[in-house]
Amino acid sequence: MSKQGGKGGAAPGKAKKPAKAGADEKREDVLQAVILADSFQDRFKPFTLETPRCLLPLVNVPVIEYTLEFLASNGVQEVFIYCGAHSQDIEYYIHESRRWSPGSATSPFSSLEFIRVSDANSIGDFLRDLDKRGIIGGDFILVHGDVVANIQLDAALAKHRARREANRDACMTVVLRSVGEQPHRAAKARGITPVFVVDSKTGRCLQYEEMHPLQSEHYVNLDPAVFSHGEIEIRTDLVDCGIDICTPDVLALWSESFDYELPRKNFLHGVLKDWELNGKMLYTEILDDGYAARATNLQMYDCISQDVLERWTLPFVPDSNLLHGQTYKRVKGGSYVEDHVVVERGAKVTQSAVGRGATIGSGTIIQGSVIGRRTKIGKNVRIENSYIWDDAVIGDGASVVHSVLAGSVVIGAECRVPEGSLISYKVHVDNGVQLPSDPPARISILTDDKQLAETDSSLVGKSGKGAIYQVAVDEDESDDEDGAGRDPAVLQSSLIYSLQGLNISTSSISTLASEDEYDSADDTSLAGSLQAGDFGATRDRLSSFASDDAAKPDGGFHNDAVHGLVDALRADDSDDFDGAKLEFMGLRLANNASDSAMRRAIAVAFVRRAAQLLTPEHGSLEPTKAAGEALTSKRGAVKFVKEVGVGGEDVAEQAEFALALQKALVGVAGLETGRAGALLAALLQQLYSLDVLEEEGILAWWADKRACEGLAMGALRDKCRVLVEWLENADEEDSSEEEEEEEEDEDEDEDEDESD
Amino acid sequence: MAPSQAAHVPTLDGLIKSFNNRTLESSIEALIFLLKRRQVKGDECAKATAHILRQVVAKSKWTDVDQLLSRIQSAGSRLVRAAPLEPVIGNVVRRVLGLIRDEASEDRNADDLASEAASDIQSLTPSTHPPQRPGPAPIRPSPSVISTGLQVSKSMFNLLSVADPGDSPMTGASTPMSQAQPASVHALRSEVMDGIEEILDEINQADDQIAGFADIQIHPGDYVLAYQPSRTVERFLVKAASKRRFTVIIASLLNPDGAAEAPYATLRKKLNAAGVDTINLASNGLMAYIPRVNKVIFSAKAVYQNGGLLVDSGSCIAAQAAHEYLKPVIALCPVYKFCPEDPSDEVSRGELGNPSSYVSYANGPAVEALDVENTVTDYIPPELIDVYLTNLGPQTRHHLASILADHYKTEDIGFSLQLGEP
Repeated sequence: MSKQGGKGGAAPGKAKKPAKAGADEKREDVLQAVILADSFQDRFKPFTLETPRCLLPLVNVPVIEYTLEFLASNGVQEVFIYCGAHSQDIEYYIHESRRWSPGSATSPFSSLEFIRVSDANSIGDFLRDLDKRGIIGGDFILVHGDVVANIQLDAALAKHRARREANRDACMTVVLRSVGEQPHRAAKARGITPVFVVDSKTGRCLQYEEMHPLQSEHYVNLDPAVFSHGEIEIRTDLVDCGIDICTPDVLALWSESFDYELPRKNFLHGVLKDWELNGKMLYTEILDDGYAARATNLQMYDCISQDVLERWTLPFVPDSNLLHGQTYKRVKGGSYVEDHVVVERGAKVTQSAVGRGATIGSGTIIQGSVIGRRTKIGKNVRIENSYIWDDAVIGDGASVVHSVLAGSVVIGAECRVPEGSLISYKVHVDNGVQLPSDPPARISILTDDKQLAETDSSLVGKSGKGAIYQVAVDEDESDDEDGAGRDPAVLQSSLIYSLQGLNISTSSISTLASEDEYDSADDTSLAGSLQAGDFGATRDRLSSFASDDAAKPDGGFHNDAVHGLVDALRADDSDDFDGAKLEFMGLRLANNASDSAMRRAIAVAFVRRAAQLLTPEHGSLEPTKAAGEALTSKRGAVKFVKEVGVGGEDVAEQAEFALALQKALVGVAGLETGRAGALLAALLQQLYSLDVLEEEGILAWWADKRACEGLAMGALRDKCRVLVEWLENADEEDSSEEEEEEEEDEDEDEDEDESD
Repeated sequence: MAPSQAAHVPTLDGLIKSFNNRTLESSIEALIFLLKRRQVKGDECAKATAHILRQVVAKSKWTDVDQLLSRIQSAGSRLVRAAPLEPVIGNVVRRVLGLIRDEASEDRNADDLASEAASDIQSLTPSTHPPQRPGPAPIRPSPSVISTGLQVSKSMFNLLSVADPGDSPMTGASTPMSQAQPASVHALRSEVMDGIEEILDEINQADDQIAGFADIQIHPGDYVLAYQPSRTVERFLVKAASKRRFTVIIASLLNPDGAAEAPYATLRKKLNAAGVDTINLASNGLMAYIPRVNKVIFSAKAVYQNGGLLVDSGSCIAAQAAHEYLKPVIALCPVYKFCPEDPSDEVSRGELGNPSSYVSYANGPAVEALDVENTVTDYIPPELIDVYLTNLGPQTRHHLASILADHYKTEDIGFSLQLGEP
């Protein structure tokens, strides 16, 4: 019974239980859950320098309490907690907790164990470790340590089991909450928009992608295979609450792919993509009622706190007093106030929660905020939409707007704390200081490496304590959703979601939601994709939903790829292109770059090289020679262009590549239009003679409306008229040659499949 | 597929089944969290409380009546605090406390008779409490008078000093006896447990008993408005339908949770099978029907000592509408729902539920712009209620006090205030 779990922080060997076949059946009835209590992210810094994320107070209750209570309310019996950073703190907290302590007779769980993994760097490491231990008997619930949810999983569990009984490969159900089409604070706060492609009938998840406003391409590439499923839904309106119902097979999948780190971006995306390889099917359970969200960043923290105050999370509201010793009562004004709170006459507290022992001076106005225990708030203070943790002191006449003030912060009298400020533990701000508002201050007394920071008295005043917290930029440690230079984590680390000051291209953020683009894309790319399907194109030849014009090449992938290729083309010491190709493919996989992004990068690289060769420093070659030099000087370059740049014998793709070349030439600085046109003609001719482009491809490009949009494009196009006319004349002559070429192409295509 | 996959969500029935495998403390704690998480609510609370108090009597260690009382008080006040807006819990705790006091005083009288010989021996040995001992009471002509006298003095004492019942002078009176007679503890335990069984039976049978009065209250040809009929009201109407021909107007929110079936479909099927017509009505159209209606029926979550009612939200509108048209309002309220308290401030403001009943969380702009207060309970002032139909029969407001006096002991009324923080 409840005593058995008393071995907290069990050693690896000790935790290993015999998971025999007989035991399996018996354990079916015991619901197990795994909590991932470390996210390997630093979005809550500087607060998480001292406290793990799952112990940060959310409406005065540590976040992990919500998670544990959610599991308890779903009848979970055995819980395993994986801790990373601050693991002692979390273990101490749980062991000291009257309710959850594994030895406690009152714990709703029959066992609760901590598992420490010393060398874990990602969630993937946790799950691979879990697989090795063999402690999971049957279906289990995988949650993060920051889930706030009041949903009941019984229905989802039953469906999951029914599917698993029907087909052993249905191994995971992802629980999602729909938040509707309209702008929603919970959707806005997440920064990254997950895109789920779901079979509408069965709920099977077919593809998973992520989008964020900083990426270079604001569209998602759909796998042509998803269209073979009849009715599908492409949904961007879902909040991923990180609750997965898994069978042990899921852990095996994690073990098979040793490089997966993140449960969504890597695992879900990868498993779905390689469906033909692993044969596993993943399902979604989309809920339309109930509450489920994860406090993944400060904006979500803000959003969930407001939801708790507004009772969306019932029964997880302050006046349920779920945490031992809490005594919240709902009072007039929609506030929750604990015992022993002194609110002086004339103070107004609305839509807020006030912890025990707080004192609030007269004339103070508190609205939509959470005030921690033993907080002292002076007279005539104004606090709006802010989160003030335990033991903070706020002087008379100060104002705090939409900020987070951590424990034991002292804010002097008449201070101004503007919107978005994050003030970490034990910072002192002197009387009368006005903190900067643009950008909002992030003040800590510690630096990123947990050393005491030198007080910046111009910021916090003479007798203040604390300095601006700067995140140490360490490329190796950027374990966030995106390794690219423009990291969406930027969007998530501040309290206020703002795209200001971030250079974002002007095209629509969500092309899927915008009907116009969808329709226009229908004609071109969608048709292309179906065609590609007919040719038996490989799975990863994805067609884009939006036209290339939609996005400006400002992504990290593009720049890195182009530089890499140009350097390789220019390199004098070697004439081999394979290294560059390998690097390029690696980059592509790392960034999950789409085909069109690759095409554009290759086109730009070759055009730049050719344009360089035209300049006096590089020998001022003639356009024809320059084109030939650029394409043929390195062994393998032509093959690379053909396979990766063009990507198939499909006419549409060839035309796309020609178009990409044309656009790249327009973008080359310091090249007058006449020469650029000549260079384009030369490049096309070279590519034609090298069998990279066929005449149909070039003619399709010629016919493409996009090729003559704008002055510069039109001018370039005109220069190629001679070439095109010559091609048209030659059309009839070489029909016999073509067939041979196609056969070769197919062979090469197969090679490429393997290399992928 | 094997149907062995039981639902995992904890329920009251699951908890009651698992009592034997749990320690007392873990059972209480489990119930407290079921209450806090609203996984046990409404009418289930009374049953749950009785079951858990039975466990307290059976499993906790106590050697005399006062210890037992304080065990029940502490467990009871924890439950009350866990669900401050479920007054039924407090009622059941008071009933059990009263029961224990009754059993104890009976025992004492019996003991006194039985321990005649023993007390003689005891009087020879040096006793630590000679002055407080009731002495050889059986010789006196009327022991019951003495014991009642003591009882009164005790309750008077408690009224004045509620701080610590353990220190009351009765401790001295009862302790020596129970130490001398461990058998009486055993007897008391089984008697109290039987008593709690009776309370449980009463709770379970109350609905049927109330339904027994259906044919008196409902006349042939009546138009009866049932506002969001609860299980009690359903049983009442079905019972009436077996004897009378009348028409039921069911007022409710339209299609709660977008259910495919019309609301109260099962009830309507039952009524129609018995030949009673039903009309479904959206609650906002209720006023238009009131002139046609002969009486309004709903069930109460609790009845306060002033006669005010705690009800599901919306019932108050129905009561008010009926009051305007001088139609009788009948509140179905089993005796165990009568609270010897006045409604608190919180009660009159109503309990707040999840706003999602009115605004979908998916509706982003509304979630951000609106503060939705979804009250799930109403308070109905006493002047709007005409008949309180209890399982003991119909009552008017003026007789509520006697019902309360019959069922609760004055010293138990404020039991939950006697203990501080756990």
